[in-house]
Amino acid sequence: MTTTATCEICPLHTRQRDLVVALAGNPNTGKSTVFNRLTGLHQHTGNWPGKTVTRAEGSFSHGGHPFRLVDLPGTYSLLSTSSDEEVARDFILFGQPDVTLIVVDATRLERNLNLVLQILEITDRAVVCLNLMDEARRHGLEIDARGLARKLGVPVVATSARDGEGLAALTSTLHEVASSSVAQNRFRLPDTEPGLDAAVTTLRDGIETLFPGIPNARWVALRLLDQDQRMIDAVRSGELGDLFESTLTQTPTEADRHSLLETAAELRWKVGDLFHDLLMETLYGAAARIADAVVKTRGPGPRFDLDRRLDRLLTNRWTGFPIMLLLLAGVLWLTVEGANVPSRLLAGLLLDTIHPALKTLALELAIPWWLDGVLIDGMYLALAWVVSVMLPPMAIFFPLFTLLEDFGYLPRVAFNLDSLFRRAGAHGKQALTMSMGFGCNAAGVIAARVIDSPRERLIAMLTNNFALCNGRWPTQILLATIFIGALVPDEFAGFAAATAVLVVAVIGIILTFLLSWILSNTVLRGEASAFSLELPPYRPPRFWQTVYTSFIDRTLFVLWRAALFAAPAGVLIWASATQVWQRR
Amino acid sequence: MINVPSPGIALAVTVAILLTSLVLFWPARGWLWNLRSRWRTSERVLIEDALKGIFHKEYARQTTSVQSLAGHLSISANQSAELLTRLEALRLVTREGDSVRLSASGRRRALRVVRVHRLWESFLARETGVHASQWHEDAERREHSLIGDDVDALASRLGNPVFDPHGDPIPTAEGELPPRPGIPLLDLSPHEAAVVVHVEDEPEALYRQLLAADLTPGVQIDGVVVSPTRVSFRADGRQCELTPLCAASVSVQSQTHHCGPVDTPQTLADLKVGELASVVRIGPSCRGLERRRLMDLGIVPETPVCMEMRSAAGDPVAYRIRGSLIALRANLARHVHVLRTVEPPQ
Repeated sequence: MTTTATCEICPLHTRQRDLVVALAGNPNTGKSTVFNRLTGLHQHTGNWPGKTVTRAEGSFSHGGHPFRLVDLPGTYSLLSTSSDEEVARDFILFGQPDVTLIVVDATRLERNLNLVLQILEITDRAVVCLNLMDEARRHGLEIDARGLARKLGVPVVATSARDGEGLAALTSTLHEVASSSVAQNRFRLPDTEPGLDAAVTTLRDGIETLFPGIPNARWVALRLLDQDQRMIDAVRSGELGDLFESTLTQTPTEADRHSLLETAAELRWKVGDLFHDLLMETLYGAAARIADAVVKTRGPGPRFDLDRRLDRLLTNRWTGFPIMLLLLAGVLWLTVEGANVPSRLLAGLLLDTIHPALKTLALELAIPWWLDGVLIDGMYLALAWVVSVMLPPMAIFFPLFTLLEDFGYLPRVAFNLDSLFRRAGAHGKQALTMSMGFGCNAAGVIAARVIDSPRERLIAMLTNNFALCNGRWPTQILLATIFIGALVPDEFAGFAAATAVLVVAVIGIILTFLLSWILSNTVLRGEASAFSLELPPYRPPRFWQTVYTSFIDRTLFVLWRAALFAAPAGVLIWASATQVWQRR
Repeated sequence: MINVPSPGIALAVTVAILLTSLVLFWPARGWLWNLRSRWRTSERVLIEDALKGIFHKEYARQTTSVQSLAGHLSISANQSAELLTRLEALRLVTREGDSVRLSASGRRRALRVVRVHRLWESFLARETGVHASQWHEDAERREHSLIGDDVDALASRLGNPVFDPHGDPIPTAEGELPPRPGIPLLDLSPHEAAVVVHVEDEPEALYRQLLAADLTPGVQIDGVVVSPTRVSFRADGRQCELTPLCAASVSVQSQTHHCGPVDTPQTLADLKVGELASVVRIGPSCRGLERRRLMDLGIVPETPVCMEMRSAAGDPVAYRIRGSLIALRANLARHVHVLRTVEPPQ
């Protein structure tokens, strides 16, 4: 857990000798797996798009040379204006990495190439990692990696990061590209529509005159036409000139730079709003041509059919919902039932054995009564309670949840539930954050970042606490046993209590929808916005690895957070219960 | 000893006093504040509306008089004359005989208001689900309350749009504004093909009719037939009829390269399970973030698409696009025009 999020766009060059590798790629291409494999860090990888939002860093070495790997948020493109894309784009351009590693999904090469081509417009210091080769083989796809490298003009390494296949070749290629200064002859976009092209050419020539030797004049021209504020600032301040070795001795004057920006503003009125459309068409046209040339299909493989059949079952009108409810109930039942025994054991150990032992020790050491009270009766007891109540259910819930996630089932849940959320004015992905909330509301709120639109993200965050998190399950069960369980004969008590808790959970779900609806019709008005959700192919989860990483990443992380609050709270509770001031 | 009232009553009285004073004097929300700001803004709003009115007239190469301004702002002629005198005193307008012209500073201020108005309309169109008929009204209110950096922040968040959803150019922060492009729809001949570039959003009654006909900038027009009582034409392949008065609100630009007639408008939402199609284009009323998202997903002309499955509840539908399975809601899918194909293309 040494993953740190730091300043989003600072250049890392100041740290001498480290070769900086930027890791870019579409969401859900195994980017995080590559990151973990290379650095040995355990960043959680899930089978749903949008896991990495802030920048994570790790390091590794190859041939005795230290490398610093920066994981950028997964994006489909660098041309929209979402914050993720800005982070990624700014780092690739202004962060000046020694090499940009672009992870692409071999099974969906054509779509992934869109991003590759955009990055190649910015920099030629790039390596393409053709990941998920194992899956491509299972789907009956044959990809000519060499042909692809020839077409793109940058090295392409075929890998299967989950098994570690091809990673050695990847690191040595990275080393080669990062330490060589030879410019690669990378792929350039073909010219677009005549009207647009005239504008781009005019602007590009202007940029090349001002900043001779600039490797990406055309791309800068495109960004200026799109009135990208960051790029305008970079031109205005002359920062753009510092990013490469200029062949000119003097820097362009401020007046020159200003007139360049004015030209851009004028051209913008001419190209109008269709500009973006034309550019995307060109990009995808080029991507399709490249993909056609290097991908051979041997017909849909058996895996593909299996995916299809599973999807038919899991999203079917009649079976979709029952299966979903059964799975949810199953996960919750396993959590509640399974947590019982270890919970009791832990409580027995921490409260009935260690606590008296500590008390005796304190007596023997003759420490003052108040210190003993604050540390042992206050802090220790609170921590012991939190650990014994929260740890077992979390240690069961999170791995189960992660298994479903890695398998690819969760996006199907969002797919099925979306129409309900749409009617409540919310986003389908709120289904994901809500089910996350059953494990831990903090995790659920954090997960809300996968929702694009701020309005719907806010709704998801505000209503997340109605998902009954498993820290609250034990209390619910206790209360239900006392109040409801007591009303029925003993042999039904457990059943009645379980039903009562389930009813409370369902009320929570109903409240989630109700409040979402109220919010989206009052303070957060507006219809539900664009919803698009990628349904990734099913991937067999790796059981032990999942159990291990979800325990480390989620369970311990959440437990640590809880402990941070519990310790001072324990002191306060002890102090308020002890009448400290009258005891002396 | 004073006669102390019972604690309960004392508490209640204190709380009541506190609450009342809160309601009255709470900064920025309270009654006093409200009264003051309403008095202030109404003054400012009137001035800005007047400047904007004069600006629009000038933009359309018409002049403004005391009478026409009174009519525009729905105030009496007396009030209008008073207002113009104030504007003159503030050096925002100059008078030439009967007509009024904006001064340089008046023009700057008017452009700023227009910029906010059009940016706000763009925001409503792109990032919220507020219905098109409410954009103008909402923007009328917002244009006076958004100032300074907030305006530029809004613009950059929208990706600095050039045109608002009605096709009006948005003034830049520096106050540049090009002339509105296009010719009236009524001037088209039956054989000409054109694309809508501007739709007038006032008066609302006419605009609603245009909305009902789904006429927005970007829609392709051909086969225009004008008679004294009816204007009929095809918009994106649909047969439409408007009154000449209504059709006068639409400006078009004739197209040099015709994209081909869209004969049977089919969209992604019309496809059945297992059907294959090829994307023709993304409809013009899908804008901003939605449009960019669709394109990021690889939906551009000639992309082959296969309708794969419906979700359990029926609405989001999963399509196979460029090798991946993408779920789209019907309200988004119906913006994507497609042509059914029998064999998978290529």
